Amino acid sequence: MSDDQARYPDISDILACKAAGRVRNASLSFAAKLAILDALRERARPFVEARKIRAVGRVGKGAERAVPT
Amino acid sequence: MSMRKTIEVITKLAERGTFKSYALAGAVAALNYIEPTLTQDLDILISVADFEKHKSGLILLAPIEKALKEMGYADRSDVGFIIEGWPVQFLPVASPLDEEALEKAIELEIDTDVGPLLKARCLRAEHLVAIAIKVGRLKDLARVQAFLEQKAVDLSVLKEILLRHGLMDKWLSFCLKAGIENPL
Repeated sequence: MSDDQARYPDISDILACKAAGRVRNASLSFAAKLAILDALRERARPFVEARKIRAVGRVGKGAERAVPT
Repeated sequence: MSMRKTIEVITKLAERGTFKSYALAGAVAALNYIEPTLTQDLDILISVADFEKHKSGLILLAPIEKALKEMGYADRSDVGFIIEGWPVQFLPVASPLDEEALEKAIELEIDTDVGPLLKARCLRAEHLVAIAIKVGRLKDLARVQAFLEQKAVDLSVLKEILLRHGLMDKWLSFCLKAGIENPL
């Protein structure tokens, strides 16, 4: 089947659900959102730590290259 | 460690008179209006009068640092003071837009599990959007889009602010980047 004949599923209902979820989350109380923020931060912590380690590694490699030979 | 406790410490600093005027800003202030998104720090907008000025013109955070130390918060990171586990940045008012935003900030009442409601000042949605348009990083523009999509901003008030502070060109540029018709 060529590209212009390809058929893809209609995902507009999924996108509409996601948009409705965003609006629902937006209407939570500020206190509830703060709790979500704390939880999000905890879940993202391993990724943030890994990114920091990668950044330190890059700086280290850069420093090695900067050493005159 | 929780953002609510961090905000509570900020309100205590204000009660102590460490600064006269403050408001939650940035992503945490945006939480009041749109769905929660991840952030790594808390921005506090604060009037310039509350900063110590050095002869060289540098603005110093010495009074805030001293008060925080007295309250048991002596740690700092490259991002700001660490308060209840969250980095906090105190940002001085740096433009007429900031000044207006701080002056017109609203008072939030935050539910606490124990005791009375926690009251904290927070920037209005329209000022948050105008500041995001002015700063103009991709993440700021994404936040503006969230405000629009979630109908969390009064468009007529926003238009007045953008006109007053000469930000209409930046607004139109945002609409172009976002691929939307100008809703104002």
